Amino acid sequence: MSTAATSRRTIEPAFASPAAADYVAVDRVRKVYGTGTRQQVEAVAASTFTIKAGEFVALLGPSGCGKSTLLMMIAGLDLPSEGAIVVAGRPLTAPRAQTGIMFQDPTLLPWKSALDNVLFPFQVASRPAAGGNRLRAMALLDRVGLEGFHHHKPGQLSGGMRQRVAICRALVYEPDLLLMDEPFSALDAITRDEMNLVLMKMWEEEKHRTALFVTHSIREAVYLADRVLVMSRRPGRIVEDIRIPFARPRGLEIGETVEFNRICGHLRGKIDHRSH
Amino acid sequence: MLAASFDRLRAVVLPAAFGAGLLLAWQAVVVLFDYPKVILPAPSDIALALHADLPVIWQQAIPTVRDTLAGFALAAVLGVGLASLLSFSRLLRDALYPLIVVIQLVPKIAWTPLFIVWVGIGWQSRLTVATFIAFFPIFIAMMAGLDSTDRSLVRLCRGLTATPWRTFWLVRLPASMPYLFSGLKIAITLAVIGVIVAEFISSSEGLGFLILKSAALLRTDLILASITVLCVIGLASYGLVHAGELAVRRWQGG
Repeated sequence: MSTAATSRRTIEPAFASPAAADYVAVDRVRKVYGTGTRQQVEAVAASTFTIKAGEFVALLGPSGCGKSTLLMMIAGLDLPSEGAIVVAGRPLTAPRAQTGIMFQDPTLLPWKSALDNVLFPFQVASRPAAGGNRLRAMALLDRVGLEGFHHHKPGQLSGGMRQRVAICRALVYEPDLLLMDEPFSALDAITRDEMNLVLMKMWEEEKHRTALFVTHSIREAVYLADRVLVMSRRPGRIVEDIRIPFARPRGLEIGETVEFNRICGHLRGKIDHRSH
Repeated sequence: MLAASFDRLRAVVLPAAFGAGLLLAWQAVVVLFDYPKVILPAPSDIALALHADLPVIWQQAIPTVRDTLAGFALAAVLGVGLASLLSFSRLLRDALYPLIVVIQLVPKIAWTPLFIVWVGIGWQSRLTVATFIAFFPIFIAMMAGLDSTDRSLVRLCRGLTATPWRTFWLVRLPASMPYLFSGLKIAITLAVIGVIVAEFISSSEGLGFLILKSAALLRTDLILASITVLCVIGLASYGLVHAGELAVRRWQGG
């Protein structure tokens, strides 16, 4: 499978860091939709990569390149046509209870308050939604700036606020792996910057988690991630894997630096490379 | 704030005033042109009949209300139950749903004589007709509600490793409530129709029976008095469903 080999002519090789345990291992995973030889569409070409424990990885690619499909397979919500995925040392066959997922839409229950939406994972698992769990949910909502909105319904909240509730819901049961599928792509640019800051803050305060963030925004990927994987146009394959050198905590001002823009330019080149 | 309360007042006062005006015109026409009371009794005649025969009407209203509510309740249980069952089993759904849709295209009232042959002329046939006629809107609405559940919410549940039952109980069922209640509102009015028609065909009690008997005696005033009471029954039962909807919404909101 030489096609799966990722280009590593990088600014800084991804494996320069001391070896930590692979938390997520994606091994020659391929996804083909449709049956019959003619209708078949290859959404994801054989892709191989790993994510180390505690690492924040951004998966960057143009719309429709199969990056969301790849994330859904790591979530266990979609099955690979070929290849295998190992999460926390176990082959993945179904969704894991210890994975937190954020979708493109906030996906809130419209009839439940913000707080009850955050508590929803406990309700699903028939675990107590009172006591410590409730306190944690309330604390999370306060930390994303929703103090005073605990009892508002999703319909009474703005798009950014709803996605904040979704962040809290994904974190409330302390998942070890956080998967985010373009969670801010439907928001306007200003709200998006704001949400990146909120996510960054939450992330830096709960460092022990591993995260995969799918996006088509180059700047968002560079701003948020420790490492950026670039996926080519459909059928998607990993064509670049670089480490982002900025120290944490990061402020939005790193976006103004020469280094930041140089990395963005490099990534843009990688995305466009195959389309011409 | 003031404009809003004025709008609300207008929404009540306007139709009430118009209705009162119509009754007044009716009364005036009957009195002025000296219409025979047998053909068209004046509103005052209907009111008098309602007052004089209230014990009779009341007595006949009891079985009608009883059969309506029982048929409606049974239809609700069957409709919600079957729709829920079909939402769990793809096989059952594909086998049954098209059949039910076809049966529902037949005018349900046409089955009434058959039910009377099958279960007799007692309350059982009225209950069967009411249940049968009220079942379809509830079933179809519940199916639509369960089908319309936001797929992303179902996917969220899957991601949270919810069992199908848990997903049904926490997401699909609550999400289908607005659909269900629109079906229930149609069903409750249809249940009244079913009972009345069944009473027309064969019964010795109920408002349908009273209307038919009054027609034979040319007691038009009593017919219209019975219809007035039917109106009140219809409104009250519709209000009951509406109150149920508000209660469910409040419970969900909590």
